[in-house]
Amino acid sequence: MTWRFQRFPSAPAGAALASRIAAIVLALAVGGVVLAFTGVNPIPLAGEVVRSTFGSGFGLEDLGLLMTPLMLTGLAVAVTLRIGIWNIGADGQFYMGALCAAAVGLFVKGPEPLMLVAMAVAGLAGGALWILVPTLARAYADVNELITTLLLNFVATLIVYYVATGPWHERGVMTLGSTPRIRYQLPEFFGSVHYGFLLAILAAVVMAAVLAFTKWGYEVRFSGANPQAARFAGIPVRRRIIVAMLVSGAIAGAAGMLEVAGTVHRLQGGISNNFGYLGIMVAVLARGSCLGVIATAALMAIILNSGIILQTRGINTNTVLAITGLILFFTAIGDEFAHYRLVTTDGKGK
Amino acid sequence: MDVVTGIMATAFLAGGVLALAALGEVLAERVGVVNLGVEGLMAMGAITAIAVVTAAPNPFLGFAVALAVGLLLGVMFAIATVYWQANQVLCGLALTLMGTGLAGAIGRSYSGLPARATFERVVVPYLSDIPVVGRAFFSQNILVYLIYLVLPFAIHYLMFKTRHGLNMRAVGENPAAADAAGIPVQAIRFWYVAAGAALAAGAGAYLTLAFVPGWSEGVIAGRGWIAVALVIFAGYRPWNAVLAALLFGVITSIGFVGQARNWPVAPALLSTLPYLGTIAFIIVPVLAWHKIRRRMAAPAALGLPYFRDMR
Repeated sequence: MTWRFQRFPSAPAGAALASRIAAIVLALAVGGVVLAFTGVNPIPLAGEVVRSTFGSGFGLEDLGLLMTPLMLTGLAVAVTLRIGIWNIGADGQFYMGALCAAAVGLFVKGPEPLMLVAMAVAGLAGGALWILVPTLARAYADVNELITTLLLNFVATLIVYYVATGPWHERGVMTLGSTPRIRYQLPEFFGSVHYGFLLAILAAVVMAAVLAFTKWGYEVRFSGANPQAARFAGIPVRRRIIVAMLVSGAIAGAAGMLEVAGTVHRLQGGISNNFGYLGIMVAVLARGSCLGVIATAALMAIILNSGIILQTRGINTNTVLAITGLILFFTAIGDEFAHYRLVTTDGKGK
Repeated sequence: MDVVTGIMATAFLAGGVLALAALGEVLAERVGVVNLGVEGLMAMGAITAIAVVTAAPNPFLGFAVALAVGLLLGVMFAIATVYWQANQVLCGLALTLMGTGLAGAIGRSYSGLPARATFERVVVPYLSDIPVVGRAFFSQNILVYLIYLVLPFAIHYLMFKTRHGLNMRAVGENPAAADAAGIPVQAIRFWYVAAGAALAAGAGAYLTLAFVPGWSEGVIAGRGWIAVALVIFAGYRPWNAVLAALLFGVITSIGFVGQARNWPVAPALLSTLPYLGTIAFIIVPVLAWHKIRRRMAAPAALGLPYFRDMR
């Protein structure tokens, strides 16, 4: 009797979870070793991060504020992952959602609750509009959505930068690239954490329920698992793809709206803070599970927050981005290894 | 120098970045591996080149070390995607995040400084006297000649005129059949993915040593992604990739002319042209010419890892 590793078509959830934990630990270890080589002792740094994140109300507030957009961009990517599509343009949709919401907030006057709803609608529409061309190109011409969605990120960034430094720039203020303060803001419920946090959790729960329990959700998952079989089963795969992608864009746009109306209260050049790209991480770590996104968004928020805390110590957001990349790399490898199981062979059945 | 010559000269220079990265991606995709890490590889190549020339002001040394760093990262990517069959999209995105982040972190101390050594112009006698095209093309730096004349010729010859090239394409179209014919599928994939990554890093080095020249954060600005898109537009062919890159050089160049001449369009909006142009160029041909779609199609096994025991 001999032992050997056999690849199975699906990876058990436990193995996938273990591979993620191993990936994160390994990436942080590599990051720590690299930092140690540059003359920074990583162990007291880690202590500092834990203390300032969990040791004070302010730390938890920051975490909540970071988690809100991360949950939504993660959700946006997760929804498309379920139908086998890569929306890596959540950053651009975030910017466009923020832009449209800010336009309503800056130039329309009305009672605050009504205006917040109007801004939300504008944000959702802005995000959905921004993914419209990649969606149609993918659905009708089979154009790779990875590239089209990604390239639009750069366009959205430039447009928001132009608007915030040019026509909508606050006059008489020397701060670079920011519009005046937007009057309407989401109420807060825990320090500076606004209701957007709860809305994001609600969105994740609703999306999870829709995907798990409705016919539409079943058809989306079926189309993602095997498009050919789905087509033969009479599912309108093209229409499911279109709706899933537009929903994804709208969710990312909503993240932008909440950032404008809840956290920043202005439209700024770099308002997205890479939330769209980190959303890919959030969704992949959650394996496309909408409820899982809540947990992985919390994890990414902690990592992102550590970067912000450590900025004074010569570690900037770039280091965080590099470490996230490393986590993603190890996760991709670990996910493949999770398909293997140790089996015994008696030598006859080979 | 008249306007057209000026636009063309800038176009050759700007297109060279994309051409080099796109040629690297052609190599990887023809053997069946999508490398979405081009953006990160370019960032690493760009910062490596600047760091090297700051220490030892020799552009050739900077370029060579950048190639080596690209090769190293490519080996890492290829081990994960080819030998360990990990998801190519995820590994590519990871490489982009890692490269962009690491280059940004290293680059803080070099940011905004001009490169200490750059590639000088090499004016080709006689040929540079040809009006317009000659004047625009034959007074560029040595890398431009390499990228537009030597490399595409070499890659085209290798891919379409040699037995080894036939093997390469077989690996990208049908790895199981190639394997049955005795072609070392994984080894071919491994080496061409690594070589393609080296070229991508070289494109980054070209950017900071010959085009900009110098490092600043975000200097790559999506060029890696544009290069990936160009490969699709070019139908995975080396000469087409170079021509497509040149077309993008022209678009970029028009943006520059617009800024220099104070066109009534904001510079930030003119900068969106290459991205919008790329999107248009990968969508429009598919809609317009259904016939050529099959001839320009992607290698059949593109993006699929090869499992020998499951064929």
